[in-house]
Amino acid sequence: MAARRNNPSGIVPTIQNIVSTVDLDCVLDLNHIALHSRNSEYFPKRFSAVIMRIKDPKTTALIFASGKMVCTGAKTEAQSKLAARKFARIIQKLGFPAKFRDFRIQNIVASCDVQFTIRLEKFACTSHGAFSTYEPELFPGLIYRMKQPKLVLLIFVSGNVVIAGAKKRDDFYTAFDNIYPVLAEFKK
Amino acid sequence: MGDAFCSDCKRQTEVVFDHSAGDTVCSECGLVLESHSIDETSEWRTFANESGDNDPVRVGGPTNPLLADGGLSTVIAKPNGGSGEFLSSSLGRWQNRGSNPDRGLILAFKTIATMSDRLGLVATIKDRANEIYKRVEDQKSSRGRNQDALLAACLYIACRQEDKPRTVKEICSVANGATKKEIGRAKEYIVKQLGLETGQSVEMGTIHAGDFMRRFCSNLGMNNQAVKAAQEAVQKSEEFDIRRSPISIAAAVIYIITQLSEEKKPSLKDISGATGVAEGTIRNSYKDLYPHVLKIIPSWFAKEEDLKNLCSP
Repeated sequence: MAARRNNPSGIVPTIQNIVSTVDLDCVLDLNHIALHSRNSEYFPKRFSAVIMRIKDPKTTALIFASGKMVCTGAKTEAQSKLAARKFARIIQKLGFPAKFRDFRIQNIVASCDVQFTIRLEKFACTSHGAFSTYEPELFPGLIYRMKQPKLVLLIFVSGNVVIAGAKKRDDFYTAFDNIYPVLAEFKK
Repeated sequence: MGDAFCSDCKRQTEVVFDHSAGDTVCSECGLVLESHSIDETSEWRTFANESGDNDPVRVGGPTNPLLADGGLSTVIAKPNGGSGEFLSSSLGRWQNRGSNPDRGLILAFKTIATMSDRLGLVATIKDRANEIYKRVEDQKSSRGRNQDALLAACLYIACRQEDKPRTVKEICSVANGATKKEIGRAKEYIVKQLGLETGQSVEMGTIHAGDFMRRFCSNLGMNNQAVKAAQEAVQKSEEFDIRRSPISIAAAVIYIITQLSEEKKPSLKDISGATGVAEGTIRNSYKDLYPHVLKIIPSWFAKEEDLKNLCSP
């Protein structure tokens, strides 16, 4: 896997959730799937997809009639792919000619704790103010939209940082490396 | 009175000028030589000492640079008595059917004016809000948006930009139908649009509890001493690590100050009404502030024993 980044703090963000999509490449009969599988729910009036869950890896899939599928809840990239394959296998067993096309990870959400409290108002006032949105009335965290790599960080007073919008593990490692020295400046 | 050539008498005759009808009449044969003459003397008398607000020379309101034609057109108002209903309502229909490119703008400006009146805001803030709205409207992408929330958010941003912030809850109270969430979303949208248009020129500082202190205190009728003490307390409290919204901290500080003063103490319900913070939140913020209360409250306002008498949360 990717080499561990040498961040002076030694803190590495941990992945909380991975969202991926895959194309099963065949038209599906959602009613049939919902009726013949135990772990799925389908309410066409509410949402036009079957929501299926498996226990290992603990993930949820949204399966659409066009054959496209969204898989959420996995904690690593390998688990996400494995889970997607398991879902595809279930669809196959139900009698549809499912294939596994274009598996792609769309979003990785990671979080970490920098172990010190942060002064958010000062942060928003500085040169980073162009990228930050801090509205304590609306949301207690500062929303930092990083341009390179393009993702969003939620920075809280407690020192917890949530990174979302990464497509690869390296992206959020880089993002954290970029933001850590800036946060250290605004230590309370 | 003068002499003119009368066409009937065929000679110069004495001519009388009748001011009431504006006629020039020949005094010999009575022929009207000129009618409807325009009196060019002054229409009103001006005195040196009286200035007054009405300068009869000027007509209409100030030109509005935001509107397409500067707001020069005339609008036919609907009669509220019901006199001659048929005629005037058809006139009104004619007016509205006309192609008025600014109609949406004028309506929006009117709504913003109503809202800012309810909040008692100065004209500067109202004009800024109008400007913001016009800039957002110029980019057509705001069609499907919730208009009420958009206008409320314009007002909110205008207040912030003039350094007189109003809480979202206060704006909610005058905006018809917009919820806090919708106004928040509209505000993010406007900031983004303005940023796209001009390249990050939207300057809005973060809110601090001190900005709202004066207003909340005067809503509750606190005396000057208490107001000053509250402002100082809020300044000091920013140094401590209290993880609460600035409005909640402001409300809790007001609660502490009023509990310490000898005058009539407003109940939690009164403070909740004046600040917009829920009673439970004020209680929880009080719990967070209590450990630091000695350092926050200025010593000239309350002595140590009074602070000890403060009820523990």
